[in-house]
Amino acid sequence: AQERQEQLQEREKFLKSRIQELRQRRDALREKVRQAVSELGNLGIASEPDPREVLEWKIQKCRELLRLFRLTGISGKLSPHGISLSLHTSFEGSLLDSFHLELQERGDSGRFWLCRHSVPPFIPLERLARELLPRNPRQFLGILCRHLNTFVGRREQLRKLQEEFPDSVQVLSQNSLCNFLSFRYRIPAESSGEFQEFRAQLRYRDPTGTRPDDVTAVTGDGVAVPEHSELLRRLPLHRALRQIHDTTAGTTTTG
Amino acid sequence: MDKSIFQPYEDEIRALEEEIWLLTEKYKDIRQESISFSDEDILQSTRSFQRETQEETNGQESLSELKAQLESLEADLPSLMKFTGFHFTSHSKKTLERTRNRTVEKHRLSGKCHSLSFQLEFQLLEVQDNEKVSTVVSDLSIIMESGEDSNVSKFVSSTEECGDVVTFFRSLSTYAEWFEHRRRTFLHFKAKYPDIVTLPEGLGGDFIILRSPKVSGFELVIVWKIHLNEEGTTIPVLDLLPKVPEQVLENSMTSVENIPGSFRSALRLFGIEVSIENLIKVLRSEK
Repeated sequence: AQERQEQLQEREKFLKSRIQELRQRRDALREKVRQAVSELGNLGIASEPDPREVLEWKIQKCRELLRLFRLTGISGKLSPHGISLSLHTSFEGSLLDSFHLELQERGDSGRFWLCRHSVPPFIPLERLARELLPRNPRQFLGILCRHLNTFVGRREQLRKLQEEFPDSVQVLSQNSLCNFLSFRYRIPAESSGEFQEFRAQLRYRDPTGTRPDDVTAVTGDGVAVPEHSELLRRLPLHRALRQIHDTTAGTTTTG
Repeated sequence: MDKSIFQPYEDEIRALEEEIWLLTEKYKDIRQESISFSDEDILQSTRSFQRETQEETNGQESLSELKAQLESLEADLPSLMKFTGFHFTSHSKKTLERTRNRTVEKHRLSGKCHSLSFQLEFQLLEVQDNEKVSTVVSDLSIIMESGEDSNVSKFVSSTEECGDVVTFFRSLSTYAEWFEHRRRTFLHFKAKYPDIVTLPEGLGGDFIILRSPKVSGFELVIVWKIHLNEEGTTIPVLDLLPKVPEQVLENSMTSVENIPGSFRSALRLFGIEVSIENLIKVLRSEK
């Protein structure tokens, strides 16, 4: 029991001194920050700058610029015999999936060859690489980025559609490339509290297209609804459905 | 059971460590973002580094390690710029908010894509959720050099609205490449056939005139416009306007009428350079 008591006292002493040490560090830092904020008005360094500080500042600047390249859709860095690239996709302001490519340069030829990659098989990567890569790497990357971006965009539209309308949308079929899809959706009829059922089918013929080429929207009985198919053709899926909801609610209250 | 006795101590320790982390990051941000070294400062410090060969490390990286890091990063940047065609000329950033999981920064970025200049301002939000980092761009504002073109401004507005900076850059890249392609093509033909080719608006203009060396007044004007539609797709449009003096018209009306049509077919089949080359050959052999 005596030992136990001593152990507890030891522990308490340790914790207290640790707190003391941390408080001192914290207070010193608060002062440092306060001083730095008050110096904000004076840009630049008056005296000869410390080489370490300059190096660290430059390194940070470079890292930031390299990170900014993500926003252009293509970032990367040199690798032993070539370049290692990341292709970034986005939809409505959010950065989404990244795909990676390794390109190697054979000697000093200035021509590049595709090595490893993480691009899904339904993207025609090999064909694009064969046709474009050796002569025109930028065009190759540009077209590949379009394929990837539109694919991820279509997939994200579908995800947002299901997220925003979990109870009123049911996906019937979609393929991996997300360029063919069909789903059921229902709109509440305000007055009766009942639902109207619809079915839509979309096909994107151009793999680099952001809008569907063939859209059919029909009622449960197979009657075409051109207003719906027009909206689905023009707007991203979740926004189209939002408008469909709004206009249907509008007509039932006035009708 | 003894744990509960020490809980308040441990809680305070955790809170202090968190605060220390936040203050350290805040200090780093303030220093990084408010300091700008002039080129002379940087040159001076590189010289003083070269003077000192030994450096006390204190567990930090030595100056030579830092230098190696910087060299590797500085080699990556130009390669990436060459590969993508994007050249960032100036950048400034302000950290508005930083916690363990969330960072909000305001960025101002200028640069060129080939010959087209751009200037962007945007807010960047990064949230860390377990392993996943999500990045969202908002408050996007874009200024482009060729902003007077109504198509370009429509595209820019719709991009600003949804904050899609990646689509902006990708579309800009293709658009700028076409300008570059046109410039290089005009230059190639001007250099190869200086007596036949004239560029009244220079290499940056959108038309080229081929003058017949044999028949005075007989000219072929090739117009090459580069459009950017609202969705960001670049659409090059080429057309041919023959300028024909009266006597030539009288003698060979039909063959002159056919020139624009056959140029358009040649474009589809053989591409731009070959089609223009063929036209020049026709002009040279014209009686």
